[in-house]
Amino acid sequence: MAWAAVVALLAALGVHAWRTRRTVGALERRLATARRELEALQQAFERFAPAEVVEHVIAEGVSARSEKKEITVLFADLQGFTELGEGLAPADLVTILNGYFERMSRAIVEHRGYVSKFLGDGILALFGALDANPWQTNDAIHAALAMRRTLADYNETLAAAGRPALAMGVGVHRGPVVAGLIGSEGLMEYDVIGRTVNVASRVERLTRTHGVDILVTEATRAALDGRFRLRPMPPVAVKGIADALPTFAVEGFDGGATAP
Amino acid sequence: MTAPAVTAEMEWEETLLPAGSVPAELEAEVRRQFGAVPSWVARVAPAPWVVRAWATMVTQPVAHLPPGIGDLAALVVSQDNSCRYCFGAQRAVLRMLGYREAYIARLERDFHVAELSDAERAALDFARRMSRADPRPARAERERLAQVGFTAPAVAELAFVAAAIVFANRAATLLALPPDPLEQMVDRPLVRLLRPVIARRMRSKPRRPEPLPEPNEGPFASVVAALEGSPAAGVLRRAIDGALASPVLPRRTKMLLFAVVARALGCTRTESEMRAALALESLGTADVEGILATLASSRLDARETRLVPFARETVRYHRIAAVQRRMREVARGLEPAEIVETVGLLALANAVCRLSVLLDAA
Repeated sequence: MAWAAVVALLAALGVHAWRTRRTVGALERRLATARRELEALQQAFERFAPAEVVEHVIAEGVSARSEKKEITVLFADLQGFTELGEGLAPADLVTILNGYFERMSRAIVEHRGYVSKFLGDGILALFGALDANPWQTNDAIHAALAMRRTLADYNETLAAAGRPALAMGVGVHRGPVVAGLIGSEGLMEYDVIGRTVNVASRVERLTRTHGVDILVTEATRAALDGRFRLRPMPPVAVKGIADALPTFAVEGFDGGATAP
Repeated sequence: MTAPAVTAEMEWEETLLPAGSVPAELEAEVRRQFGAVPSWVARVAPAPWVVRAWATMVTQPVAHLPPGIGDLAALVVSQDNSCRYCFGAQRAVLRMLGYREAYIARLERDFHVAELSDAERAALDFARRMSRADPRPARAERERLAQVGFTAPAVAELAFVAAAIVFANRAATLLALPPDPLEQMVDRPLVRLLRPVIARRMRSKPRRPEPLPEPNEGPFASVVAALEGSPAAGVLRRAIDGALASPVLPRRTKMLLFAVVARALGCTRTESEMRAALALESLGTADVEGILATLASSRLDARETRLVPFARETVRYHRIAAVQRRMREVARGLEPAEIVETVGLLALANAVCRLSVLLDAA
């Protein structure tokens, strides 16, 4: 009788141990899956903010943390798109715009830029913001030239589909910014603020004044590879800047088709 | 979860070079170092100095660093660099050494919450910052290590261990080495049975402190001198001298690759040292400045024109497959010895420039 009780007890313990082990195994598998998802998420996040910022957010939560750094800002905008949009069905408008954003983003990312945001039909891209990059200005202008080529190709596609061509202006400026997590409790993003961003936006607007598609500032020119062909533009007074702003139109690159 | 399951999801391209024959003398040297001949030796053998540098650097030639920390740092740095080969191999090494799978998984998940002492956590944090080098770890970070009990020579050795893994990660990634057989071996019943015996053989033994190698001359002598008292100093000196003495690529090409990596990492000391060395190779200040600013020049030969711009891409990479595909493009038309030497030089440049933080005053 006592033996039977012992055997029954051992059997019950065995079943319990087996069940516990099975539960632990299942939990470990779920934990491993969660870890892989978390790693993928962390890697994805590192495309939106420097690894150090992502690390800080994971370890200590979102907090006001900023730093000053020198970056190159590229601002691109579609010219006359509002008027163009008035003659198009909303679905066509969105399709054309998404096709444009998709292609331009690829050109920017392929040259080590980071697409910070889309502003209506505008694009704000940053070079040297996520990773230290001593070649950031060259990369930005190679990206601008790639955007020019890409837009020409896209316009051929649009023309073949009986759709109107797009025209783009690109302004590039290099200078200091304050970079960090900026926003409200409900919506926060890695962003940069400062005069450098405003100047890039103003320079983009000057492309209309000068009738060119890519314009850069003196600070950008000074950091550029001499093989970029630039044409000086007459200085123009712009809002928020005391002196008339000299700019340079980018005509091309004499160093071959491939950017370093 | 086993190592193959964890690493199976890491992106990785087809290996760049086939395994070749290994000279008996070189094989014997590696066997003395490792106790076995790792699978990568047959692919790296075309440039023997790379084999020697790799074999001696990753076996933790340390006298001051507390035991065990180097093994954990190797995992953390390999994971941070998404090096499928090193990560899988180091995971297998840790399991052979007796670390439990659950512990390794916790370490991978977040070493900040794994069961570690403050000193271990600080060390792993520092190793990872050495690997990222963006920004370069400041002097204050080394001082923090002193606060949790590390002596100055131990901090220098920790920096060396992290730099050595950075070397191995780049070499393995650029060559896209296939998984190490150790990953499969670790779960075999016989190996599990013999694990304590194997672990005893594998565990890195603390070495005796060593004086600086004599002579410690030529490029990066100051970085080597920062490891004074550690056997790592001699290992690093021999790796640098081996790289520079190899006849495969010209000395000028080697200096240029080092200079580009130095520029990308903001390592002004190495950059100036390379500028001075390049002046002796008939490249003037303006030429070098032009090359470093644009990664191109009519003064570069056809091979340098391909290698110089590629050097920057080995410093930080977000997509492993992308850098491996670029390596394949760059390697097209090059002999195996040229490919391995290029990879070894870029790996060594990444290690030395990171290690130079030991000389940073701020």
